[in-house]
Amino acid sequence: MSDLVLSLVTGFGAYVIFASAFLSCLALPIPTSLMMLSGGAFVATGDLSLWTVVLAAYAGAVLGDQTGYVLARWGGAPLLAHLARAPARRAALDRARALVERRGAVGVFFSTWLLAPLGPWVNFVAGATGFSWARFALWDILGEVIWVTTYVGLGYAFSSSIGTVADVMGNIVGLLVAVTVAIAMGLWIRTILRQQRRARAP
Amino acid sequence: MIRFLRRIWRAAPVATVILALALAASVFFGAKVISRAIYWNDPAHQEQAIEPWMTPGYVAQSWRVPRETVGDALDAFGARPARPMNFDRIAEESGIPVADLIAATEAAIAAFRATEGAE
Repeated sequence: MSDLVLSLVTGFGAYVIFASAFLSCLALPIPTSLMMLSGGAFVATGDLSLWTVVLAAYAGAVLGDQTGYVLARWGGAPLLAHLARAPARRAALDRARALVERRGAVGVFFSTWLLAPLGPWVNFVAGATGFSWARFALWDILGEVIWVTTYVGLGYAFSSSIGTVADVMGNIVGLLVAVTVAIAMGLWIRTILRQQRRARAP
Repeated sequence: MIRFLRRIWRAAPVATVILALALAASVFFGAKVISRAIYWNDPAHQEQAIEPWMTPGYVAQSWRVPRETVGDALDAFGARPARPMNFDRIAEESGIPVADLIAATEAAIAAFRATEGAE
């Protein structure tokens, strides 16, 4: 698998990095982190130029995120409006919207780099719930700078052992995502228990 | 403990299932982070064998030899590439099997290291 990725990068260069960054932001399972690491490594070995790698990765990621947001806005918002005709669902959706409105900026920012596997889903949620495009774009553009810089930079610094770096980073990011989801579920359960206690109290 | 689990299961079944999965995944990735850290700390696992996806520049960097060493090895076949490309592509364009190119490069690296050690 990683050999295929690497031979694509050395075979086609920045185009592959652009395409994979774009597609992985739309939730297609493509090892873009490894692509960016290898892009950085091939900058260090003089096979690719720094600016094409950084620009390709950055443009692909930001365009991919924006596409996800726009698709969800066109396709997802009418679907949610349809679902919200039932009063119980409407209340739940309103709560979800309020949460996105309050915490969306933080969510978009961290899901572009620290919790990259969650990125596409956060984009879809932001688009479907009508989160402001300007705020989405701002935090997305900032977050992707960190993502691209980190991975291309790590690839450059550890160019002779990107297989190792990809392996280590993959597991660390997996751990971060799992812990974040666990914490989010813990908070969700706590909220529900509190509501029940309040409902039972006289 | 079990009473608490039963309570959250009844209150929020979906969140409880996702919580359990996320905790299991945390343990899985946590164990992997540790086991891979031990694995990669072993120097025997750090040298990267030459593979078709690598470029001559990459091989030179990974094995800490001058670019010329790799370039000269390919030159023996008349296969030194004019621009950066991987071994697969070099083999395709020169018509020489990729295994031969890699073997020659490995020999050149070994020769370079032998003379370097002697000096």
